[in-house]
Amino acid sequence: MDSGLPTLYRPGDSWLHRRHPLTKLAYAASLAVAGFAAPWPAAAWFLLGALTLPLAAWARLARPLGRALLWSLAPLAAALLIIHGLFNPANHTILASWGELTLGQEGLIYALATLGRLAGALGASLLCLYTTPPGDLMTALQQRGLPAGLAYVLISTLQLLPLMRRRAQAILAAQQARGLRLEGNLLIRARALLPAVIPLVVGALLDVEERALALESRGFSRPGPRTSLQAVPDTALDRSLRWALAAGALVTLVWRWWP
Amino acid sequence: MIELEALSFTYIGGNRPALQAVSLSVAAGEFVVVLGANGAGKTSLCHALTGYIPHFYRGQLTGQARLDGRNTQSLSLAEIVEVAGQVFQNPANQISGVRLTVSEEVAFGLENLAVPAAAMPARIKAALALTGLSALADRSPYALSGGEQQRLALASVLVMQPRLLVLDEPTSMLDPQGARDILLAVAALRQTGLTVVLAEHRLELAAALASRVIVLADGRIVRDGAPQEVLADPALEDYGLIPLRYTQAARLAQARGLWPAQAPMPVTLESAAAGFRRVLRGAA
Repeated sequence: MDSGLPTLYRPGDSWLHRRHPLTKLAYAASLAVAGFAAPWPAAAWFLLGALTLPLAAWARLARPLGRALLWSLAPLAAALLIIHGLFNPANHTILASWGELTLGQEGLIYALATLGRLAGALGASLLCLYTTPPGDLMTALQQRGLPAGLAYVLISTLQLLPLMRRRAQAILAAQQARGLRLEGNLLIRARALLPAVIPLVVGALLDVEERALALESRGFSRPGPRTSLQAVPDTALDRSLRWALAAGALVTLVWRWWP
Repeated sequence: MIELEALSFTYIGGNRPALQAVSLSVAAGEFVVVLGANGAGKTSLCHALTGYIPHFYRGQLTGQARLDGRNTQSLSLAEIVEVAGQVFQNPANQISGVRLTVSEEVAFGLENLAVPAAAMPARIKAALALTGLSALADRSPYALSGGEQQRLALASVLVMQPRLLVLDEPTSMLDPQGARDILLAVAALRQTGLTVVLAEHRLELAAALASRVIVLADGRIVRDGAPQEVLADPALEDYGLIPLRYTQAARLAQARGLWPAQAPMPVTLESAAAGFRRVLRGAA
């Protein structure tokens, strides 16, 4: 199989690749719950470093996962650290000051904890998508009773990001060929945004109708059960892992909110 | 197979009918090419044949469409697709986006119809062979060229074994090679006995493939007959269609007294070559 896929899935045969899609979904959900519910601010960072990144390394996906986390969270990290580090009303312990500006420890800890929760949830979710063929995830969700339409919307939305990126690149290339300047100061870049974004959004909306028709022509709206070309095996290990993950998330919730 | 009876349809928000009192009967095994300029109503006719009008597109509908004798309004789309399949213009929009290989993509329709998994491989293999995609079975649908993607869309519909296949300008977004490949695949369908309705605006395709040609203008059927009879009609230009080069050349020769007045106008390269051979022999 070639790699011309506009999908987040990275083909492989690692232990993680072989796990049932719902097991990986349970992993992503329970890590998100644990990260947000744990009273210890560094819990989410710990889970990311002790579980998600080693699992990613084991599946030979540490580099793409690290890169994706860095690129997607860097702008948010900068905003969180500046806003909470400098302007959080809870700031009492001053770590540094530059004239009127002061860097507070409380805001900094809050920003890092929030960032850790987001990074933990995003990292676990991406790892799930990197190691799960979208069709398997859709089949697994349908087999558990999720309506086909809802399962398709969920999965195809996840696939939309690489598709939109590919389309955006084509639009930018076409606009550049017509003289659009993309390099320069912030104002020039902002001005270039509109001619790129409008065709992207309008084109995607226009495609929706034909996509829906094409799905209909393949029996997508047919009610009743579906079959699957490839079986998605659910092993005893997968079932045990899912129970353990659910129990772990529950324990964290109880620990956080028990009176 | 399919009958339209005085069918008229105006889309919601439309200021004029897209189809006007269209009556049409297509028998099993026919290969019908529907010609018309842009906006003539070809796509609307395709949608009426496959039930998307009125099940998907809402609007004002009068008359009726009958598929195998049953009014399409009383059938659900899910019931219709088991009898009638449609291939659309843009190949990329027909890929489900949730399958990794060409084989899996073709299986998507079978899975929706709840075909047993054991029966799928043989049907997938046959559909891929019919569309010339067997060698690409393990490729990603997104790694295919436009023409290959359109053949994949065709295979994805054929695998569901419809008895009526409707193709709405399937070559309009393809390069010449891609268009040629899809037409070869469509031409091969004539041998299978499948009923085919192909909407096009290029007369060459109609001449090469059709057993019957229909011309639409302003949502009405203005010509309906054998390819030779319809394609040689000088009135085609009035409906926004460019006559075939062979017909144009023969008409020019006729105006100069070279082409016999009673001789039929050629609509294929072969008939044009034979006709001009006779003209040249007569001049020699």
